[in-house]
Amino acid sequence: MARRSTDTRAMIDRYRWWEMLAIYAGLCLFLFFMLAPFIEGFLVSLKPLAQLFSSPYSFWPENGSFKAYFTMWDTVPGFARYVINSFLISITSTVIVLLLVVPAAYAFARFDYKGMGLVLGGFLAVSMFSGAVLLIPLFRLMRSMGLLNTYFAMIIPGAAFLIPSAIWLLRTYMMRIPTELNEAAYMDGASQFYTFRRVILPIARPGIIVVAIVTFIGAYSQQFIFALTFNSKTEYMPLPIGLYAYFGKQEVIWNELMAASFVGIAPAMVLIFFLQRYLVGGLTAGAVKQ
Amino acid sequence: MGQLSLKTVIKTFGDIQVVKGVSLDVTEGEFVVFVGPSGCGKSTLLRMIAGLEHTSAGDIVIDGKRVNDLPPVKRGIAMVFQSYALYPHMSVYENIAFPLRVERAPEEVIRQKVNAAAAILHLETRLQQKPGQLSGGQRQRVAIGRAIVREPEIFLFDEPLSNLDAALRSDMRIELTRLHKQLGATMIYVTHDQVEAMTMADRIVVLNAGYIAQVGAPLELYHKPQNTFVAGFIGNPRMNFLPVTCTGVSDAGVEVDWQGSRRVIPVEPRAGIEGATLHLGIRPEHVTLERGDFALRLTPSVVEQLGQQTIGYAALPGREENFCFVLPGTRVIEDDKPLDVGFAAAECHLFDAEGQALPRRVDLAAMSVPPAL
Ligand SMILES: Nc1ncnc2c1ncn2[C@@H]1O[C@H](COP(=O)(O)OP(=O)(O)O)[C@@H](O)[C@H]1O
Ligand SMILES: [Mg+2]
Repeated sequence: MARRSTDTRAMIDRYRWWEMLAIYAGLCLFLFFMLAPFIEGFLVSLKPLAQLFSSPYSFWPENGSFKAYFTMWDTVPGFARYVINSFLISITSTVIVLLLVVPAAYAFARFDYKGMGLVLGGFLAVSMFSGAVLLIPLFRLMRSMGLLNTYFAMIIPGAAFLIPSAIWLLRTYMMRIPTELNEAAYMDGASQFYTFRRVILPIARPGIIVVAIVTFIGAYSQQFIFALTFNSKTEYMPLPIGLYAYFGKQEVIWNELMAASFVGIAPAMVLIFFLQRYLVGGLTAGAVKQ
Repeated sequence: MGQLSLKTVIKTFGDIQVVKGVSLDVTEGEFVVFVGPSGCGKSTLLRMIAGLEHTSAGDIVIDGKRVNDLPPVKRGIAMVFQSYALYPHMSVYENIAFPLRVERAPEEVIRQKVNAAAAILHLETRLQQKPGQLSGGQRQRVAIGRAIVREPEIFLFDEPLSNLDAALRSDMRIELTRLHKQLGATMIYVTHDQVEAMTMADRIVVLNAGYIAQVGAPLELYHKPQNTFVAGFIGNPRMNFLPVTCTGVSDAGVEVDWQGSRRVIPVEPRAGIEGATLHLGIRPEHVTLERGDFALRLTPSVVEQLGQQTIGYAALPGREENFCFVLPGTRVIEDDKPLDVGFAAAECHLFDAEGQALPRRVDLAAMSVPPAL
């Protein structure tokens, strides 16, 4: 009697046991490499401060506890405010970027006009400058516009630096939406704007969400440098600056600092996981014959 | 309503002329098929009628009004695309309702019209599904439904069946013919498939490289092609062409000589062609196993048995193209064995050196149902 196989995977997806083992070993190695700083950081947040400087250093916390997660709020009373600031700055940047980039990317994807290549190339060139290179001119600009020491000083440059790459990303996505859909809508009497709103936007949703996530993360990570230079008001400080408050006069409160880092990025993680649920693929299935 | 005229319409892309002066009158309620090899400008012509492309020159007139500068909706035209162009994020219902939503029709009217269209197209049970969940034929029906609800005077179809499998295609052909009768609207249908053209059209427009090669009823094109292009394009397998010498012209027709046999072909005589080389056209299905007016011995290299008919291909000495013959029913024919076939002079077509036909003397009226008085 022939042996029946219960495996329903295609032949190309089947592996021997030792191949599987090698794949998982590789994955673990890679993940450990990526996550080691976070693991260490988390373990540090569990340890009492005294144990951190003990010698020999023990990797594993002895009588570890979540105490630092409670005491951190007392050490730096403004911490919640910093987290909210960070979140606010990033969200606002993301919203501004999306409002500008979605129509722009559509225009770059659908319409052909003189000088388009030049403009797109220009965007690429601009995004090669990091914000740091332009700090001094930006500082003068902010000062003459009277924006220093406001939220806008951190939001506007952040958004501006994120726009070029967002346009490139979304344009590529939108170019894959078949032109026939525009033509069909035009045949049915829809205006450009109606077509954009009712046909293009819903189909481009996964692309827009990817851009939103990338922009949000970008805004979150680059706000440090703008906050440091354009803002000196404690109450507007975002998380990365706020963490400096744990650097005391004599010592650094490492365990609370680590705990604060984890608490600080939690809202962003939640938001990203939430957005990711809308990243369903195959939205154009059935639109045109392939 | 639904009358269309094209007046020397020309389209150039860059400096390439794609449509080279097409003039055509389509009467109301007619089913006209544009047929031609791919790349001959069928889609471009249709898109100009639709209002998706500008005409480079010439006029498009609908119901006596020049519409060159009007958008599609104002022309009273709906189009079904070669790719279905359905909105993937909307249900079938919303897809069909889309044109009505654009014109802000009341909800009640929308429901009624969409349901009516769905009933015509047998889509009632699919209304809540997304296009991605439908089969090719159903998607195409949704695309047609979206055209129907606008109640246009002219429907345009661009190769709507080209991606369906053969069985579905013949079903959809019948559906479309039924739809045409039911709606009574003018329909212009583009295809490269001559079977679709022959079966559905009231009139066929054969396009060749941007020109109209011939306009006529299906059987007219079959029996009286005006040139070698139409003769070769209409009919499958394609017509065989043999070089002959004209040896005389009389009232009875044109006498030709082919490999020593002289026969009179019943075509309109033309003066001054004695001695010229002409092309004799004979359709594969008119070749028989009897000795006809012309006889020839062939050695078929390939024989295709379709059950319903038997098709053979044989090389002729000095000719690049295979000579093809179709015999009805199943025949026992061995390949690589000589075979004697023949054909009648009355079945022959005759073309001059430029490929223009000498008109055949066939009575088309006898082949069709006489029009009701
Ligand atoms: N937008 C365009 N720009 C340049 N050339 C085009 C364009 N659209 C069609 N063509 C050319 O016009 C010719 C006819 O195209 P088309 O009308 O699509 O042919 P068909 O539908 O008969 O297959 C082709 O050679 C094609 O390359
Ligand atoms: Mg085409």
